[in-house]
Amino acid sequence: MPVVLSEGLTKRFGGLTAVDDLSFALEAGTITGFLGPNGAGKTTTLRMLLGLAAPTAGRALIFDQPYAQLAGAARRIGAVLEATDFHPGRTGRDHLRTLSRAVELPDSRVDEVLGLVELTAAARRRVKGYSLGMRQRLVLASALLGDPELLVLDEPANGLDPEGVRWLRDFLRGFASDGRTVLISSHVLAEVAQTVDQVLIMSRGRLVVETSLERLTARVGGSVRVRSPQPAQLAEALRREQIETTTGNDHALLAHGTTSDRVGEIAFAAGIPVYELVAEGSSLEDVFLELTSETQP
Amino acid sequence: MIAQTRAELLKLRTTRTTVGLVLGMLALTILFGLLAGLLTHAGGLSTPEDQRGALGVGSLAGIFSALAGMLLVTGEYRFGTIRPTFLFTPRRSRVIGAKLAASMVAGLAFGVVGEGLGFAIGYVCLVARGIALALHGGAIALLLLGTVAGVALWGAIGVGIAAIVRNQIGTIVGVLAWGFVVENLLFAFVPSVGRLTPGEAASALAGLTTEHLLSAAAGGAVLVGWVVLLALVGLALTARRDVG
Repeated sequence: MPVVLSEGLTKRFGGLTAVDDLSFALEAGTITGFLGPNGAGKTTTLRMLLGLAAPTAGRALIFDQPYAQLAGAARRIGAVLEATDFHPGRTGRDHLRTLSRAVELPDSRVDEVLGLVELTAAARRRVKGYSLGMRQRLVLASALLGDPELLVLDEPANGLDPEGVRWLRDFLRGFASDGRTVLISSHVLAEVAQTVDQVLIMSRGRLVVETSLERLTARVGGSVRVRSPQPAQLAEALRREQIETTTGNDHALLAHGTTSDRVGEIAFAAGIPVYELVAEGSSLEDVFLELTSETQP
Repeated sequence: MIAQTRAELLKLRTTRTTVGLVLGMLALTILFGLLAGLLTHAGGLSTPEDQRGALGVGSLAGIFSALAGMLLVTGEYRFGTIRPTFLFTPRRSRVIGAKLAASMVAGLAFGVVGEGLGFAIGYVCLVARGIALALHGGAIALLLLGTVAGVALWGAIGVGIAAIVRNQIGTIVGVLAWGFVVENLLFAFVPSVGRLTPGEAASALAGLTTEHLLSAAAGGAVLVGWVVLLALVGLALTARRDVG
């Protein structure tokens, strides 16, 4: 049973088709990047998944049920749609308490999630004094209150500084590592490229690509730059896994058609030290733009 | 439903807006209580009906109770907290039902404090000026209970209207314009219709006997009818409409 199932999901606003016959399924334990430019229909899709908007046609199921009919939804699914959904005059902790109380979670759980997102020190301050990064972490905390099996996050990296993006990436990796599922939307592929296992790419209401990140990378001939004291041995180890390499400047290897995860795993398995490991994101970003550009037929 | 109602009460308690509403209610009750009790000519405070007006000045709390109810809904749409609220409680009828309940609990508090204070001020003024109390036992009980009940029901009316309109400014301006202008005009010129408005029904519920007003029981029934009608329309619309 897929965790999230969308079947022919469609939403029209008057003459405008915001989401057009969208079908996909997400399995447990995966991190899926939901990508597309602003206005592609990502948020509308998430709103239908989460029962905030009714589909014009098709259906969206979470754990085999429409969200609104799912018993104990808040304890199974954590979701964030906007990083601005606070009363500015309420403290961060009180904001979470208004939500936890509705599903009978104790205040101790509120303090737990505040600690988890590292907001304990600011918990009793009014939200209007929070930075955008703190607000992002507070909405994430609200999604975590029910200790959910599925996290749905709309543009969670918006406004985060690089350190915050890294923190979020590590957090989501940890979250998914024990079999839980993440669906994370973004209009910037690079933000999520190092986090997700698979991508759904939307453009103008339609699903244009549904694939693993690895395949997407391979498809665009993306490369990974890796620096090692034993470049020859590493090139050989990669060749055994059908990964081609070339030597770039400063003696780094460029591994083609793969991901940094894969190269790192191969190097580790071969016992070869790695000093630097970088996905050359530009080519991925290029194909993303190409796939989602308005000039696509 | 009980958990959700507790959450809604917490929402009311955790913003400064509510504090502002309570302070506004106290200030206005003291002001109008003293104005009615001290500046009115002694002859204008002698009949039971005069004294009901002076001692029932706490019915002003109905405005603040209605505002609290309205803000409990429109504030969620204004600040976007309606999204997490519905994500945590996808059954929207439960959310609106809880807001109705919470607004009446809050309204009860507004009514008890407001009318308690209003009655005390009016009573002290009458005694201090040596004016004999023209109301007794049952009439005073009806005034106090009816006023408090009316104030509590105003909270639910606020929730119902706000669930229909959603926009904060629109809701507040609309309700104040209705309460202060339309109702008074209707009651003045078409009393047979005007007495069915929530404001005049609330006056009747408090035992006021102004000409054309309904009986207390009928006034109470009409006011409850308004609550039920607005709540049902608000519930139906909230269940159907997408949340942006």
